[in-house]
Amino acid sequence: MKSKKLLVIMMAVMLSILLSGCSASAMNANSWSGLSADTEKAYLANGSLVYAISLDNGSVVWQYPADKADTKEAYFAAPVLTEDGQLLLASAGTAHSLVSLNPVTGVMNWSFGDSDGIWIASPIAVDETIYAPNTDGKLYAFDLNGNFLWAKHLGGPLWSQPLVDGDFLYINSLDHNLYAFDIAKEDVAWAAKLSGAAPGSPLLGADGTLYSGSFGAKVEAVNSATHSTKWDFATAGWVWDALALDGESLYVGDLDGNFYAIDAANGDLIWGPVKPNGTILGAPLVTDDFIVIGTESGTAYAYEHDGSTLWQQVIGGQLYSAPVQGGELILFSPMENDSILVALDNEGKQVWQFTPEN
Amino acid sequence: MWDTYIIIPMTNVLLFIYDIIGHNFGIAIILFTMLIRAVTWPLTAQQLKGTQGMQELQKDKEWLGIQKKYKDDKEKLAQEQMRIYKERGINPFGSCLPTLIQFPIIIGLYQSIIRSLASTPLSLLNFSRNLYPFLDVTEIVPLNSQFLWMDLGRPESLDIFGFAFPTLAVIVVITSYIQSKLMTPPANPGDQSAAMGNMMSIYMPFLMGYFAMTFASGLALYFITSNVLGVAQYAMMGRANWSNLIPGKK
Repeated sequence: MKSKKLLVIMMAVMLSILLSGCSASAMNANSWSGLSADTEKAYLANGSLVYAISLDNGSVVWQYPADKADTKEAYFAAPVLTEDGQLLLASAGTAHSLVSLNPVTGVMNWSFGDSDGIWIASPIAVDETIYAPNTDGKLYAFDLNGNFLWAKHLGGPLWSQPLVDGDFLYINSLDHNLYAFDIAKEDVAWAAKLSGAAPGSPLLGADGTLYSGSFGAKVEAVNSATHSTKWDFATAGWVWDALALDGESLYVGDLDGNFYAIDAANGDLIWGPVKPNGTILGAPLVTDDFIVIGTESGTAYAYEHDGSTLWQQVIGGQLYSAPVQGGELILFSPMENDSILVALDNEGKQVWQFTPEN
Repeated sequence: MWDTYIIIPMTNVLLFIYDIIGHNFGIAIILFTMLIRAVTWPLTAQQLKGTQGMQELQKDKEWLGIQKKYKDDKEKLAQEQMRIYKERGINPFGSCLPTLIQFPIIIGLYQSIIRSLASTPLSLLNFSRNLYPFLDVTEIVPLNSQFLWMDLGRPESLDIFGFAFPTLAVIVVITSYIQSKLMTPPANPGDQSAAMGNMMSIYMPFLMGYFAMTFASGLALYFITSNVLGVAQYAMMGRANWSNLIPGKK
């Protein structure tokens, strides 16, 4: 009888461990990296830590928190530098704080932790207000001292940084809508239906056309004056992040590993699809001379404006986040890799890499 | 292998149901549970048959005879027991199988719920790789995790006078207890299997309640639906022992 009791208890413990293991693996899914840079430093959000890294040599200038990682925070979003000298961080952890740091010292100015959902999108500062989209579907507003002003429900989880143009903020949502938010009226002015969930930011052309990619496997151009779709372009796979615009050309990668150049005026294919060695998630980076993308297979590619490959460089890990330009360098933040920040020069040669001490 | 044969098929079936019933994940879980119950119906029937057969053996003269005759010869006793099982067509493990089948279903369903309700970039990316090509999920992603007052991707509780009351967990404990009591045949004095059944009927509901309180509430919804369907199933088969629910009645 005792052995049977033991069997029941062991079965219970085993099931608990298996289910807990499932939870743990779900928690491991809570990792992503967000990257931004100015002319001197790169700011890397990586798990529970944020690093300021010197562009000169890849050394750490400061890390936040300074002493020990706070496991209740998980920073996915690219840190944002504001004009008044703040560095804004957004956490997707269980504490889901919105944090302002001094970008010189890494010391905290203020934090806000009362949102209903987590922060996956980067916030944006416009004039005297900080706008932060949340996965609870609300757009939160704060003054520059971090005082909460208001929160407006738009609809659906908001995963991407808003785009600002004069009187409006444009925000893509996972609820298949592109929202135009009237800053003065503090309300949604209009919404345009997209063909699928849109986790990446919209892009604004000089003529007022908004471009968005989505899980509908389409790139859609929306006229911001008429709110109607001008054209759409079908991609083979889902489009995860924002597009890149260079003059008349739009560049976009998809989850099936295709990279396209599209005519921004009419949605016609200019060249492509070219097939690098893996899934493309991050938005392309357009420099003066070429276009850079990273793949899930850990390789960086530079393409000429005619679609020919200029160089490719194996970085390692998985390049999910968009590459960023920092001074003369091209920065990648690989996941599942010892080095979490890699700097390349314009010829694709590695200049330095940053590996955190553990 | 676990992914290919358990989690991914379950995830896609859940999504398929979610898609055709109007994008309600709670209803999808309930229908999915009904499907699982229908698929495992033969096993449940076998379980009941096995339980009843074992119960009848406890009163059988030949069975009691060999217990007495070979009480000092375990090997011979085991041989004789196996002979009787074979002659009467009883599978001694038949009553355990449905319970064991529940384990991969529980783990698989839990994983499927968590994956389907992907709420972070990496989990959404992984989710996109779990989809069968014939399933067009463009319209349904992201899934709506709200059902009644619950977020099915998170543990449930209701705020009652400032106290977070785990409503679903309590319902899971009650329905699990009722189901296990109804399944337990009338016990004979000194009957070890009945004593084991009684012990299970106390431990298992609390264990399930603990899971319901700790893990995603979608799993608790599965437990409750499964328990209610189980009770209905036993009742339909005429095997439910309603008298077991009356305290003090043997």
